Amino acid sequence: MESKNDELLEISNLETLDNYLSNMDNSKSNSYISKIPEVCKEYPCCLGIDEAGRGPVLGPMVYGISFCPVNEGSLLVELNCEDSKVLNEKKRDDIFVDICKHSNKIGWAVEVISPNKICNSMLGRSKYSLNQVSMDSAIGLIKAAINGGVKIEHIFVDTVGPADKYQAYLKNLFPKYKITVENKADSKYPIVSAASICAKVVRDHALQTWKCKEGHEYTFKEFGSGYPADPVTKKFLADNVDVVFGFPQLVRFSWSTASNILKDEAYHVEWEDIENEAPSPISNSTITSFFKMTNQKSEKPLNTFFSDRYLSRKVDL
Amino acid sequence: MAIHIQSGKNDIQTNPKFSNNIHSMPFKIHADCDAQISKYFLQTPIEKEILSASFRGHPLLGKEIQIPAGYRGVVLHETMKPATEKEDRKFYVIHTFDKFKYWNWEKAPSKNDPLVQAMDWIDIAEALHSPVVEE
Repeated sequence: MESKNDELLEISNLETLDNYLSNMDNSKSNSYISKIPEVCKEYPCCLGIDEAGRGPVLGPMVYGISFCPVNEGSLLVELNCEDSKVLNEKKRDDIFVDICKHSNKIGWAVEVISPNKICNSMLGRSKYSLNQVSMDSAIGLIKAAINGGVKIEHIFVDTVGPADKYQAYLKNLFPKYKITVENKADSKYPIVSAASICAKVVRDHALQTWKCKEGHEYTFKEFGSGYPADPVTKKFLADNVDVVFGFPQLVRFSWSTASNILKDEAYHVEWEDIENEAPSPISNSTITSFFKMTNQKSEKPLNTFFSDRYLSRKVDL
Repeated sequence: MAIHIQSGKNDIQTNPKFSNNIHSMPFKIHADCDAQISKYFLQTPIEKEILSASFRGHPLLGKEIQIPAGYRGVVLHETMKPATEKEDRKFYVIHTFDKFKYWNWEKAPSKNDPLVQAMDWIDIAEALHSPVVEE
């Protein structure tokens, strides 16, 4: 095991980000929070939340938050924090580096939710939706900021599902703060744009540095963006099926794009029914049936000791 | 119908490497083939004796189960299944094992699992059927 050195783990540029991402256990969820700027502990702050990589069939979903004192709002505009989707990759990387450079004023945190974690939640015994995974992640990040001492005043969230419901839910959990949940908040509020850029940059770099635990040496070029419509991703999925195991853990099995390919290309797998089969009703025999002659020898059923343990007699002695 | 079990080669030894790769899974794969277990089936210990893993995105929890002393697990091979139920069936022992991993779908294996309970029968059978020795 490598020793965990806090100095080494600090993400201050793209190199240290790649280093962090390639050393994490990518079958689990991993969270990172930047150093909390002193000003964020002193002055009331705004905090933005957004996610990246919700739709893709490959790779992690990344939740991001960023925070800075309300009166430093102009800094975000100076850094050109805009909706991460309208910026190209290079521009996003540059802004991310700028955010890191202003670590005395802006703080940020991300949770990298691994594809394996996403499938495990969605394909577990009790169904746990992607929306629930998302909300838990957002709440976890807000709590991490609170625990770090950030003096939060106003939380801005890019919506997951219906905005009013989500807003009421968060308000209930965090009654002390002003909360704004809006559709397309990432293009309206620079602090959400900053969170969105952090999340998107981390997601992109997580894919670029992805190492399959199964030992496959796929590169980013071979699996593409991960969006189901990307022809590179489509080809990657079609070409890399294992007939028993399906795909490496890079792939989200719970996406129909992936499961449809397995339906055609891999062996069929039958899972136990979640509902326990209802015990068959006791057959009521009519009283006259006892007097009827039958040549069927009634078979003595095995004691429940055996049936409970799925033991049966295979050979007559 | 009788079933014959023959140990092909003279007394196959239990191969520890093989014992580590016997898994009882909570689903049925409609196939009979080789599987790249050590490559794809990644297992992590999570707490005392319990392992976690995933199969096609499904969360699994597993535990190692020892075959009781005096018994051995066997892997049988049947060259050809007879067409009718009446014919005798012939199996060959191709591997033996002394432990295996038992997996459940997002539920830690426990005494409530039929397979774990089935091991009880071995002790009871012993008590019921072993010859009475007068002391």
